Amino acid sequence: MKGTELVLKALIDNGVKFIFGYTGGAIMPIFDEMEKQDALTFIMSRHEQGAVFMAQGISRASLSTSDPRTGVCMATSGPGAMNLVTGIADANMDSVPVLAITGQVPTGVIATDAFQESDVVGVMMPLTKQTYMPLSVDEIETTIHEAMYVASSGRGGPVVVDIPKDVQLQETESVCEFDARSCEPQLPGFFYRPSVDLDSLKQAVGLINRSERPIILCGHGVISSNTGPQLQAFAERANIPVAFTLHGLSALPVDHRMSLGMVGMHGTVEANRALMNADLIISLGMRFDDRVTGNLKDFAREAAVIHVEIDPSEIDKNVKSSVALNTDVAQALNLLHRDPALVSKPRTRWFAQIDAFRLEIADQIQKEIDTGIGREGQLLVKTITSRLSRLTQGKDIIVGDVGQHQMILARFYNFQTVNSWFTSGGAGTMGCALPMSIGVKLARPNERVWSVSGDGGFQMNIQELGTIMEHDIDVKILLMNNGYLGMVRQWQTLFYDGRYAGTPMKNPDYGAIAGAYGIPYLKVSDLDQVDDAIQTAADHKGPFMLEFICDPSEIILPMVPAGGGYKEMIVSID
Amino acid sequence: MTTTALMKRRAILVFMLDRPGVLNKIAMLIRRKMYNVETLTVCKTNQPGTSRMTITLREDSDEKMRQVIKQIEKSTEVISARELDMNESFWREVAIVKFEADEDRMEVLKRTYQFEILDRQNHELFIVQVTGTSLSIDEFLQDVGADRIVEVARSGFTAMEK
Repeated sequence: MKGTELVLKALIDNGVKFIFGYTGGAIMPIFDEMEKQDALTFIMSRHEQGAVFMAQGISRASLSTSDPRTGVCMATSGPGAMNLVTGIADANMDSVPVLAITGQVPTGVIATDAFQESDVVGVMMPLTKQTYMPLSVDEIETTIHEAMYVASSGRGGPVVVDIPKDVQLQETESVCEFDARSCEPQLPGFFYRPSVDLDSLKQAVGLINRSERPIILCGHGVISSNTGPQLQAFAERANIPVAFTLHGLSALPVDHRMSLGMVGMHGTVEANRALMNADLIISLGMRFDDRVTGNLKDFAREAAVIHVEIDPSEIDKNVKSSVALNTDVAQALNLLHRDPALVSKPRTRWFAQIDAFRLEIADQIQKEIDTGIGREGQLLVKTITSRLSRLTQGKDIIVGDVGQHQMILARFYNFQTVNSWFTSGGAGTMGCALPMSIGVKLARPNERVWSVSGDGGFQMNIQELGTIMEHDIDVKILLMNNGYLGMVRQWQTLFYDGRYAGTPMKNPDYGAIAGAYGIPYLKVSDLDQVDDAIQTAADHKGPFMLEFICDPSEIILPMVPAGGGYKEMIVSID
Repeated sequence: MTTTALMKRRAILVFMLDRPGVLNKIAMLIRRKMYNVETLTVCKTNQPGTSRMTITLREDSDEKMRQVIKQIEKSTEVISARELDMNESFWREVAIVKFEADEDRMEVLKRTYQFEILDRQNHELFIVQVTGTSLSIDEFLQDVGADRIVEVARSGFTAMEK
């Protein structure tokens, strides 16, 4: 078989259904082979960054299904591969398994500055879990199997396979005969062997039982190990409130009585104050990102920390743990939940304290949502989000871009479905939402998907409207247009004396753009039209775009200033 | 002069698969953690396909050290990584030194140090190989004198625990 055939065979053997990408000189042979088969569906993005976010969408959304898959994208050498970099770095930060296959110039001219040559392995290495360059056709299949294994095992992450064009065209007699899914590559020392030290478990249970003011921090690991329902059962049994990191959201219903909502820089007052006052933090599959901890010197100084984390290098990295369980969240929760020594304490004073935190700015926020109009007379994203949440009963899938609207979605969408919230967290890559929502929709075709962006992020991957048009991807696009880069503007309002440097933006006629792509569109500037517009988009079969004219003065509070501690949390202005 | 020079010398021993790019990966990680590598040696082991790497750098904090090691260990190709106990290990280095000396001076050096003469020109310019602890090599170089030394090539550490 030819190298190109082996690439596709290995992907099909791994259960891949979709390939996102963009062709070019050095990857043409693989695309040519793709044309001859029908097991794989090719989706052409309009820019390689779009392709990698689409692949991320497949991986993120399929995690909680019966068929979890690693998204695959392809690009040509040089600029094609370089355009993948941002999306690959993003997948690395958010622990999302992705396989990127790039074409490379033929081995004979590598490192001669050949046309469209870039050092892909060199560039990708620090941004991936692993990077490969097979130098013989006999390595192709095993490399792709190993790449898929590495991407999805343990803590997920991106893997890049850079294949020189001549290697793609070589022929070989030897073909792998094994079952890809049971294949364990020869990587001694890499294998993740979950094992919980029983003494540590006992200590953890002891800490939980003694704790008067515990809090669970639910991270991305809970979503990745698909253990939302188990977490809910554990929290109920042990009677411990749960706060979520940005990526932990949607692990359990956000209005559950144990839920405190999101924690961190833009977390809820109740989550942040509870974290500040806790005597025990049970952190599940999270890495104490600086957006979660604020200034580490002031972070939960009186709390003991139980850190459940699959990646040992995250343990004690930012926050020193009292007890560490280096394992998959599913296994740890299972053991904790079934431990006969675990007691359920009423913790009446703690919950009363939390109830008081809940009320601290509840009225202020409700009033703002009910008014629906900001200081400059335009719509509030908070109100639109609440309405969207109500009309969809919190059951739909939300793909958020990056910025102010993202934090508002995380705070005000009432997530009810497990694994229904996707966004770029660690890297904070603007423009992720539109392409990611395409992958999400393809992975979960029977659910409604809303892709929500600001006017800044939307234009960063606006070209993917072409992909939506071509494949009639049923994504509902919500554009929160306030004519500014909202999150930076908020910082400028609060910390830069209102000097709006580099944030105002003259916007195009988005209706004309939607029209040009054949996507039905409505512009909403009146509060009375919001519900009807959302309902129209929801009921429409196929893609639909809504542009909301939003108020640039809107602020999302609370806010823990960057570099500050929770003590400096801003809960109101003026 | 950076502050790192004042910190404690530490050594990390890594066993890894002998694959292209591993050295690059570990070097990049150490750079990202903002360390300046003092010495780095890589060689094959008696296990086919496995290499060993000895890295020395300056760090006072045990916690930071553990963090670097855990991150090295995370690399797909790394089989194991740990810190070497400096007091419980043998540390050796090889230096090849080109220097000027007359016969008398050479006799004095021979009585004090163990080394092998690799080359001599006109009885005045010598190339010798000195093997031993880093300290003994430092002493040798000092004794020869900076003004007499033409060129020095040192291998960097290799080490083994007792």
